[in-house]
Amino acid sequence: MNGLLIAVEVELRKAVASRVLGATTIILVLGLVALTVGLELGVRSGNTNVTAQLGPLAALDGWARMVGLVAQITAAGALIAFGVVLSWLVGREFGEGTITSMFALPVARPAIMLAKFAVYLAWVLAVALVITAVLAVVGVALGYGMPHEPELAALARQLVLTALTGLVAFPAAWAATLGRGLLPGIAATIGLVVCGQVMAVAGVGAWFPVAAPALWALDPSAVTAPQLALVGALAGIAVALTVRSWSRLELDR
Amino acid sequence: MTPRRQLAPTERLHTVPLQAAGVSRVFAGGGAGVHDIDLAVGTGQIHALVGLNGAGKSTLMRVLLGMLRPDAGQVRIRDVAIADAGPHEWREVGHLVEHPLAYGELTGRQNVLLAARLHGIARVRAGAAVEQVLAELGLERYAGVRAGRLSLGNRQRVGLAAALVHEPRVIVLDEPSNALDPAGVILLRESLRRRAGEGAGILVSSHHLDEVARIADRITVLNNGRIIGTLDPGGVDLERAFFALVHADDERRAAAEEAA
Repeated sequence: MNGLLIAVEVELRKAVASRVLGATTIILVLGLVALTVGLELGVRSGNTNVTAQLGPLAALDGWARMVGLVAQITAAGALIAFGVVLSWLVGREFGEGTITSMFALPVARPAIMLAKFAVYLAWVLAVALVITAVLAVVGVALGYGMPHEPELAALARQLVLTALTGLVAFPAAWAATLGRGLLPGIAATIGLVVCGQVMAVAGVGAWFPVAAPALWALDPSAVTAPQLALVGALAGIAVALTVRSWSRLELDR
Repeated sequence: MTPRRQLAPTERLHTVPLQAAGVSRVFAGGGAGVHDIDLAVGTGQIHALVGLNGAGKSTLMRVLLGMLRPDAGQVRIRDVAIADAGPHEWREVGHLVEHPLAYGELTGRQNVLLAARLHGIARVRAGAAVEQVLAELGLERYAGVRAGRLSLGNRQRVGLAAALVHEPRVIVLDEPSNALDPAGVILLRESLRRRAGEGAGILVSSHHLDEVARIADRITVLNNGRIIGTLDPGGVDLERAFFALVHADDERRAAAEEAA
């Protein structure tokens, strides 16, 4: 594709210069830690409201309960954070009018959109690593001891969950493109979160890509490989539709 | 210094930088469409588009740059139909339509550097090209300031630098003197004259007839989405001639609508 490497270089420079990605990372990680520690302390103190909210997780303890808590928070909280950032990466070009500068270039517009996905994914992976590392430190700080094989496996699943949650947010890019701005992408993200929660409660979450990663992270035996593969399919379809929309883009509204 | 390519004599004779033939584009919900536009921007020529607000100048420029697909007719960039144009053709195009390429979190220099890379300038040559165009547009003092902190006029200069950094042979600028101070207008005028002198074909839209008269080799008047005539850049009373054309067209259309 014409100019993909140049497009990645340009999008990377833009992302590094902006404060949006850094600020979102800090807010997400601090929020995750605050909620996790707060809920953990709530359970330890015997707060019945907290234990009722946690359901089966309240019966666990140590690393297992903490990682389970983080998985549930990640499924909703990280999805919103990722969706907002992806919507911003795409929607800002329309909102700020810079989309006009992406026409009549030797670098093809689909390459620019693919570069945005690539930069976004790199950021998601960095966030996943930071969350997992911070989680390990918090677990030790809460007195659960050094993580061994089962705990390390759970932490690895948290890493994968965060990365898969990043993939689940991909449709936000298409919504931001179709809606020519940031807000349609955010609305699509909120819609995904709500659908994921409803499907999980309805008991069919394993077949729904938005809910499947968290269900898998909580209990790997609860989600089959084909069900988890649907996350990749959702992301692939979202990339194809978004790139197609950028290829056929007209500034007619 | 960025090497400036001189046109070969054969290229000067045969290549038409920008051409529209029978181009129409209308919008379903109304708005400033364009109808049956024939336009050619010649090599080494500054061609001005003038018209009242809503006449269709920006719409026409968007069609010429592929931001809108024409309902009818054809656009050619350096003799290649726009649908077939690839990196080779687009590398030669520079434009500023409505919004400058000026991301608020990047400095003026960084913005222009991104534009240089997107326009195909190699990394090793990009720095020199950026410094050259920043100097040409009087932006050295502000090159290290984030675009979000620049005045509207200096943001416009950054956008112009981004459009011109790669020494394009086809230049399309929509109201380029918008928000520029008198010094900026003069720098822009000199820059466009130099580029035209080196063989670029330049299309600019403007409301400022005085400025147009100073730089344009050819002036086309657009009204209600149609080309209604031309003005002589050397004419004595350009404003009177412009309004005479527009009023005559308005009256002609009103009479035609009444008869229908």
